Amino acid sequence: VDAFQWLLMLHVAAAFCFVSGSVAAGVLNILAIRAERPSESAQLLRLVRATLPVVGIGSLGTIALGIALWQHQHYPLDAFWIWAAIVLWLVANALGGMGGRHQQQARELAERLAAEGDVSNDVLHDLLEDPRGNALSWLAGIATLLILVLMIWKP
Amino acid sequence: VIAAAFSRPFWPLFLHALGAMLLVGAVLAATIVSYAGRRRPAAAALRRSAFWTLLAVAVPAWVVTRVFAQLIFDDEKGVWGGHDPTWVGIGFAVADAGLAVLLLSLGAAFWWWRGGRPLANRILSALASVYLAMLVLALLAMSGKWH
Repeated sequence: VDAFQWLLMLHVAAAFCFVSGSVAAGVLNILAIRAERPSESAQLLRLVRATLPVVGIGSLGTIALGIALWQHQHYPLDAFWIWAAIVLWLVANALGGMGGRHQQQARELAERLAAEGDVSNDVLHDLLEDPRGNALSWLAGIATLLILVLMIWKP
Repeated sequence: VIAAAFSRPFWPLFLHALGAMLLVGAVLAATIVSYAGRRRPAAAALRRSAFWTLLAVAVPAWVVTRVFAQLIFDDEKGVWGGHDPTWVGIGFAVADAGLAVLLLSLGAAFWWWRGGRPLANRILSALASVYLAMLVLALLAMSGKWH
């Protein structure tokens, strides 16, 4: 295994951490929305936090190792697909962070309701199903998917 | 993207990689849920979540990953002159042996969901962890092109 293969292997491993960690967080979030009681929603949203180190390491690893590969492979400085991927990476991280704050609000309310009798109300329901909050996470996912398209297609 | 849509080599590799990422994500979620369930054996939401994550996400993702792996292999097997590299062998071995582990995990998740037995939870945790380790080995071997 030469230097290029090491870089590529670690870059792809970081990409898997980034995307698969986000998928795991998304699955747990969807399950939390569909849960019947606030205690169940709170429990599943708390588990989303376990995926954050995986997503964080993957996110930083993809950009750092991607730039190292760019330099190692002598890709041109004006390569469109690389710059587009960097912009999408920034967009995915920004949207994912905003979506995460929305989930945190929902978790805090669900925990409070769980402690007060474990009965859901319209506020929690609206917060969990808020189209704007969920759209942020879905758009982050679409941006990540477009990065994968660019990395495989390399237009 | 439109140009990529008409590019024959793009779709199989894209769908293979996407399927594998979804598979790893679903198995990671099921692993997290199963370990959380050890501390809260009465949590019905966790038991239900582990089963549905594996059935609705991991199994379809495995199918997509395996089908497009075979398509890519059939297209490119002539390149290696009949001697498949180690990384191809590891990829297929993990995919095929992994199906058994995935289905056993699904069975354990169903048992845990319907019966709530701590033993079922421990079996699910162990199987999901082993499968996650197998998938990590495969992705490292395939992306690093191990010889």
